[in-house]
Amino acid sequence: MSIIQVKGSGGVAGLERTSFVGARVPPEIRAMIKPLSKLDKNTFRSILKVITAEIQGIEQSFADLQPLLGETLTEDGLAVVYCGLADLVRRALKLPSSSLKKENLIQDLQDLQIPESFHEDLVALVVGSKRSQIDSCLENNRPRLPSLENLSWRTDVAISTGVLNRVLVRGVTMEMTLSDGSVKDFEMSVSKFQELRFNVASVLSEMEKLEKHSILKIKD
Amino acid sequence: MSATLFTASLSIKRAVALINEMDLNRFPLLLSRILQKLHLKEERTFSEEEEEKLQAAFGYTSNDLDLVLETLEFILQQAAYHTAKPAVLGEQLKQLEMNEDKVQKIVEAWTNGARNLVQKLKERTVHPNQLEEVKWRLNLQMAQASQSKVKRPNALFQLGVRSDSTGKKDNIRLEFTHEELYDFYNQLETIQKQLDSLS
Repeated sequence: MSIIQVKGSGGVAGLERTSFVGARVPPEIRAMIKPLSKLDKNTFRSILKVITAEIQGIEQSFADLQPLLGETLTEDGLAVVYCGLADLVRRALKLPSSSLKKENLIQDLQDLQIPESFHEDLVALVVGSKRSQIDSCLENNRPRLPSLENLSWRTDVAISTGVLNRVLVRGVTMEMTLSDGSVKDFEMSVSKFQELRFNVASVLSEMEKLEKHSILKIKD
Repeated sequence: MSATLFTASLSIKRAVALINEMDLNRFPLLLSRILQKLHLKEERTFSEEEEEKLQAAFGYTSNDLDLVLETLEFILQQAAYHTAKPAVLGEQLKQLEMNEDKVQKIVEAWTNGARNLVQKLKERTVHPNQLEEVKWRLNLQMAQASQSKVKRPNALFQLGVRSDSTGKKDNIRLEFTHEELYDFYNQLETIQKQLDSLS
């Protein structure tokens, strides 16, 4: 009995591993392979540059790609290449660098029939020095509730009020500026402040316990 | 040296006269209700119904009852403001020509209720927003559209702030990464040190 290695519609490089693009090659990527192979290296690099900037959240406009159009590259052709390449890059960057090893990446690119001359740039993007910067951008652009941008605070002793001549009660006043621009100000009694402080400390210790937990140590 | 709690104005004199004539039996109950409600800003001490019953019970007109209640409230407010010693309060009431029996009842009520009342008054603040509630949730982010296999801990906090003026509660929702939470914690520690130096 012989072992049949199935290629073509799926990217199964070995018998255990699935290609980083998935079990089935997405249609956008499949469509771009042929037009991609007709491009020269510089054009490819320019397109890749625009895609990389876009992923990091820097807005790009069509004007950045316009100069590439010409005899060899029509607008439609450019659209197909851009979409396919962007999808390819996004999928490669989606996996943590610990999951997608360089050899496997190259193997997958070969299986997809991406021209060899383009491998270098793609590999540099996915596992190179700029990767951590890209990961930071992706992390910072995640959907989230507002963070605490700035905390201004004050401690006070209330000496006297309209209803009580001698009060001598301590209090804390806070002004929180959130990342969505809103400013919240409020005060609290000392006991309420202790409650806040206790809760923050509890969460911190829970977080530390969580980070030591085995679930975070699984290497995948 | 203690402050003069009351000046013998005309309305006070008139009120004292009315008080002196009051039936002694129901007097302590009246006083304890007034003391109970004194720290609340907007609430009436007695409902309209109750005031009508009091008018009937004491044989007062509406105006007379108002005067008596206002004056008793004023007496206790002043006692609270100066955190007056019961003996001092008693002295000054006698100077207003209030009868001994009524003075004694007022001093008794004050002695019993002073600590509680002063404590409640101390808690009254002028600032519009008060932190009422601290709630939190610890999450482990597993993925996002652009990244898989993330495993990123984050904490959500919900701070319930009550607005004194509108009575509404505003929930401030914040999210912290480990680092952000640690920064926040350090700031809270600094505040604590400040509080410690104030005590």
